[in-house]
Amino acid sequence: MIALESVSKRYGSRTIIHDVSFTVGKGEIVGFLGPNGAGKTTTMRMIAGYTTATSGRVIVAGFDMATQNEDAARKLGYLPEQPPLYDVLDVSGYLRFVAQAKGVPSREIPRDLDRVIRACRLESVVRREIYKLSKGYRQRVGLAQALLGKPEVLLLDEPTAGLDPGQIQEAREVIRAFGENHAVLLSTHILPEVTLICQRVAIINQGRLLAIDSPASLQKASEQANSVRLEVTAPAEALRDALLAIDGVRAAIVHSMAGGHTLQTAECQVDAREGVEARIARAVASRWDLHRLERQQPTLENIFLRYIGDTTEGKPA
Amino acid sequence: MNGTLAIYRKEVQTYFRSPIAYFVVSVFLLGTGYFFLYNIFMTGIGTMDETFQNMGTLLLILIPVITMRLFSGEHTGRTIELLMTLPLKPWQIVLGKYLGAATILLLMTGATAINLIPLYLYGNPETKTILSGYIGFLLLGLACLAVGQFFSSLVQNQIIAALITVPVLLGFWFVGHLQSFQSDYILRGLFGYLSFAQHFGDFVRGLIRSEAVTFYLVVSAIALTLNVSYLQWRR
Repeated sequence: MIALESVSKRYGSRTIIHDVSFTVGKGEIVGFLGPNGAGKTTTMRMIAGYTTATSGRVIVAGFDMATQNEDAARKLGYLPEQPPLYDVLDVSGYLRFVAQAKGVPSREIPRDLDRVIRACRLESVVRREIYKLSKGYRQRVGLAQALLGKPEVLLLDEPTAGLDPGQIQEAREVIRAFGENHAVLLSTHILPEVTLICQRVAIINQGRLLAIDSPASLQKASEQANSVRLEVTAPAEALRDALLAIDGVRAAIVHSMAGGHTLQTAECQVDAREGVEARIARAVASRWDLHRLERQQPTLENIFLRYIGDTTEGKPA
Repeated sequence: MNGTLAIYRKEVQTYFRSPIAYFVVSVFLLGTGYFFLYNIFMTGIGTMDETFQNMGTLLLILIPVITMRLFSGEHTGRTIELLMTLPLKPWQIVLGKYLGAATILLLMTGATAINLIPLYLYGNPETKTILSGYIGFLLLGLACLAVGQFFSSLVQNQIIAALITVPVLLGFWFVGHLQSFQSDYILRGLFGYLSFAQHFGDFVRGLIRSEAVTFYLVVSAIALTLNVSYLQWRR
């Protein structure tokens, strides 16, 4: 449904997107992850046809974005990062405009409006001017707009930004239901969201696609990168030396606040073997006060940070 | 065509749901009414000639207010991304917006007809001259709208769009005055030909010359074509 074939984007001499290729099939929801400025929005815009790729091909629903822009646009629902709303129009007037512009036949427009209004829970604000709406409603009107005209492909740039937890839940349900027989590409900062609704994850950084796989296999791939986190009252130097001396500990970082006997947080990279925690606990508890010790599960966040290679100190791992 | 119609409806709705349409029409009516009364009472001649000239100048100031938001507003409202990713051809967007703005122009022009009531009640005006003046005024307005709309597509800030449009339109209006500084025959002809004011003057005097009609239509067509090409190129 969506296919990128070695797509690159250059502005002058600056290359924003380097040779990115991936596909999103029918009935699939793919999460698009990356830090700010990684090229997520630019990639989304190229798929949406807002900007063109400098090289490579973007195919949407079988149409080449460069030559069959209009046919592709008919199959596409797009929610940009900032919901594109005409503030002075009321919700129904706005949605009617989008439906007309998307070429929905006039007699089907009322039914189509009804469908998206119900899906996005907008019944209570249909007659209200858009500038009067709260951020959450604005986001939902933006989502409703993308769903109009029964698109086959849905591009959502941070669709749950600005929603409260209950609304996020609802929005996810809408996206999940839609994803059952359509292709959805959604970018997000919220990592649990990806595990919850996406079948696959694409990780992008500095314009390069780093990985694309299911959240589960990405997790498996980084199982070796297990770590143990502990809180101890101990001198930083001595603690690190002690930790490194333990069999199975490959690296240790102590986030010390100040010298002397204060509370330290330490992280150890450990082998996947059993019993490492027990050895760490014995070694540390025999000399100092051990307050807490836990094995860090390889969360998507860890995996993400590992791929991005941006695990700077002080950042929660 | 449906796409053009969708854009057109949206533009007209936007004009009337914001203060712009009301502002422009009322300022124009107030101005025109003032000039009309002034001209009638100062000269005692029951014609629209002077008033049409004043309407032309007033139009140059108000056109940018109508056109500045056409594309710049889409940038400020972050709606440009939607507009450019809808299954619409650039010409449909340009035409829909142009027709929307032209509707406001039509409304402004139509409303000034109220001045004709006392003119016909107490005077004996030439209907043909008045009609020709109105045709000229509409053509002038359409050309100005096209120019303003093109500049609105070039910049992302509405104020800057207006600030560019005003001097350009004033330039086209007053370029005829440069004639008196030129001894060169070709330059004199060129400046005369480019002048919005001189062509408009013909209409006001009751002359509908095909050259003047063509001139305004060609200016509109060039500006709109540039507008379409710019949108295409931007992609």
